[in-house]
Amino acid sequence: MLETLPVTERAAAAPRRRRLSRAAPVVVAILAALALWIAPLVLDTFAVNVLTRSMIYAVLAVTVDLLWGFAGILTFGQAAFFGVGAYATAMILTAYGATPLGIAAAVAAALVAPALLGLAVGWLSFYHRSTPLYASVISLVVPIVVVQLIYAGGEWTGSSSGLVGFDVLPFESEGYFRLAALFLIVVTLAAWILVRADAGRALVALRDNEARCAYLGLNPRRLQIRLTAALAAVAGIAGFLFANASGVVAPENAGFLFGTELVIWVALGGRGTLLGPVLGTIAIDYLAANLSGDLPFLWQLLLGTAFVAIIILLPGGLADLVGRLWRALPAGRREPAPPRLVARAADPDAAASATPILTVENLAKAYGALTVLEGIDLEIRAGELVSLVGPNGAGKTTLMRCLSDGTEPFTGAIAIGGTPITGLTPNRIVGLGVGRKFQVASVFESLSVADCLRLARASHDGLSPVGQAETLGLPQAALDVLRMTGLDRLLTRPTRLLSHGQKQALELAMVVALEPRLILLDEPTAGLTKAERTTIGTVLKALTAGGRIAAVLVEHDLDFVREISSRIVVLHQGRLVLDGTVEDVVGSELVRTIYSGGAHG
Amino acid sequence: MLLTLDILTTAAILFIVSIGLLAIFGVLKIINFAHGAWLTVGAYCAVVTAKLGLNPWLALPLAFAVGAALGGLAEHFIIRPLYRRPLDAILATWGLGIVVGQLITLAFGRDVQLTPNLLAGTVEILGVDYSAYRLVALGIALAIGTLFALTIERTRLGLSARAVIMNETLARSLGIDTGRVRLVVFMIGAGFAALAGVLLTPLTSVDPNMGVAWLIGAFMLVMVADASYLALAAACLVFGAAQVLISTFVSPILGSIAIAVLAALVLRISPKGFSRA
Repeated sequence: MLETLPVTERAAAAPRRRRLSRAAPVVVAILAALALWIAPLVLDTFAVNVLTRSMIYAVLAVTVDLLWGFAGILTFGQAAFFGVGAYATAMILTAYGATPLGIAAAVAAALVAPALLGLAVGWLSFYHRSTPLYASVISLVVPIVVVQLIYAGGEWTGSSSGLVGFDVLPFESEGYFRLAALFLIVVTLAAWILVRADAGRALVALRDNEARCAYLGLNPRRLQIRLTAALAAVAGIAGFLFANASGVVAPENAGFLFGTELVIWVALGGRGTLLGPVLGTIAIDYLAANLSGDLPFLWQLLLGTAFVAIIILLPGGLADLVGRLWRALPAGRREPAPPRLVARAADPDAAASATPILTVENLAKAYGALTVLEGIDLEIRAGELVSLVGPNGAGKTTLMRCLSDGTEPFTGAIAIGGTPITGLTPNRIVGLGVGRKFQVASVFESLSVADCLRLARASHDGLSPVGQAETLGLPQAALDVLRMTGLDRLLTRPTRLLSHGQKQALELAMVVALEPRLILLDEPTAGLTKAERTTIGTVLKALTAGGRIAAVLVEHDLDFVREISSRIVVLHQGRLVLDGTVEDVVGSELVRTIYSGGAHG
Repeated sequence: MLLTLDILTTAAILFIVSIGLLAIFGVLKIINFAHGAWLTVGAYCAVVTAKLGLNPWLALPLAFAVGAALGGLAEHFIIRPLYRRPLDAILATWGLGIVVGQLITLAFGRDVQLTPNLLAGTVEILGVDYSAYRLVALGIALAIGTLFALTIERTRLGLSARAVIMNETLARSLGIDTGRVRLVVFMIGAGFAALAGVLLTPLTSVDPNMGVAWLIGAFMLVMVADASYLALAAACLVFGAAQVLISTFVSPILGSIAIAVLAALVLRISPKGFSRA
């Protein structure tokens, strides 16, 4: 439809549509709140009580979904945070009663205790080079430990029988129903706004490609720990509500079996969507309450079978099925409006200075007995375009890795702009002004071109946690890359649909958008067409010509190297054998023998 | 002395329970959450053997056969389609565990089952009376470990399995039928788990959820061992000792979480666990 509109009308329609879509979650939330406010009047007491519990569980499902469906952290630990919140509430209300002070203390404890535990769990789960499996394992251990501590708590925690008979908030069951509904709506709305906002893209980026996040200067570890702690606090408040509404807390509430149930509900409802897990949890828990009395084992059997089947056949859950139908309708096929590209003035601080951008002194690296690099000395100044050449296995990529990741075990010294990088994680080195492009294009497969570029700017400009910015400010050089490769017309295209060359160009644009002082490129032209190669060459020459940026590239194409380099460094068997101008190196007898294979031994 | 025996036999039992999980983790690179279910299946094989009035030791071959057969089905229909989604494969095995547990409940009821003792009585060893069965378990663990080592080091299957563990893509391009290796290893792993279930019957009550209690401990030991059976033996000894000592001298409740907590910390400090040593 929109394609037929004249350009001016399209431009006018875009902001209007954006305003509409921004208001949509709020409108849905208000309607849901109204419906749920009236609901207790028409439902029987049993349904009101069960649904109160189901809605509290749905809040937990939202937190599991944000962690697992969006950020890619499969967690069984939300049950533990929920249990800690519920027990903190029950213990304080047992001791002080439901006085205003007691309630306030209970809320505070149900918020703070799980958040602190979440910080500790986050610290344990996420570190440089931690694996997703390890984080999941920790999330399994946490509920087990919490449950054992509850057992060990004696009178304080009621041990295996739990706590019961404490004072609670002065509400009838309708009141709790409305409170739970309100809480669920607020949490879901906040989550909805977050995942649609630019900051929400960072979660998906973490799931897609954690390494790329780090090499864009974002700190994956900090993001994951903060998310864990924040969602632990939300689970804790859910626990507060549960303790009040049910009047009883038991060790099972914190157990890992409950944690796995949450994951099952989210999987069936549809991870990576928000309404899927919310509706899935409410439906399954409500059905369970109605059916499991008559058919306890059969119900579990059906649920387990459905879970296995959904995981194998429909990983997106039931929401994915609905989503596919929706996208088949004309209204569902609307493309989002692309952000407007604007040029951003270069950072004035990045003035040329006398210190070399990169100094490498006596660098050596070995894998066990195998020496990969030895005695490397190198100095690179602003304005240089240095090509690193050498046969396969010469240590070129290893050198690039050492330059961009200070946690690699190497000996010797590497400094960026005078700052030593030993021990620094990639994101801190990006902060020093290094941008690295990988050999295999490393972008975020489930995001659009514009989102990838926005994440590249996140360490400079931040990300909005509530909305989508209408403009996308990029340095001129990044805009040039986009324009020359035609990516500026594909801003809303998901990157998984891009060609190999387009992905390489996008990654280059992302790296350039970081405004690095030193750009590291590992075979930027591998597998590209002649035209694409020329474009990349032009961009690199233009970048370094300003005299403020240096580039180091690993390259096999010697014609390309000769055309663009200001200097060539030759690596052979882990040693730096030649370092000179293009004429020096290309005319060298040594290079000829190395490449014809005569210089071994 | 009693303490030493406790530590050795606890380590032996942990080893018996974890070895099947280790085989699967090494080759398929997934943690098999259905492991608890295989243990339970094995224990119920002992129940069935007893009901049929057969020699209780006959439960061992029966459990291995049933476990391997079920494992084969599970690998073919559940694990294989999820080959490229390892975290999903883990979840699917958990779902499978639920299904198996419920099927057992439907067939046998929820109650605790009684099984005949495989070996009753005590033996006097170095001045203390000690459960004969636990000593036999120690011997069985050594036998299983040796059998496992011989299979890995001396047979064609073991060679293929090691190749797949090191580099599956390369193994496949060398003409090793990696799909078959995965299937066979999963069957053997499930068979060993069921076997372990039979061996657990004298030590623990048999009910449909018995496997879950053993799952996490086995899980953590295997994570720490990282696909090496020698590292697994070492991990069983160290963490088994920690469990026994903490249970004896501090509190049984803390002892019960000792393995999980200590293993998690070890992995945090050294992600490769015990396999580097």
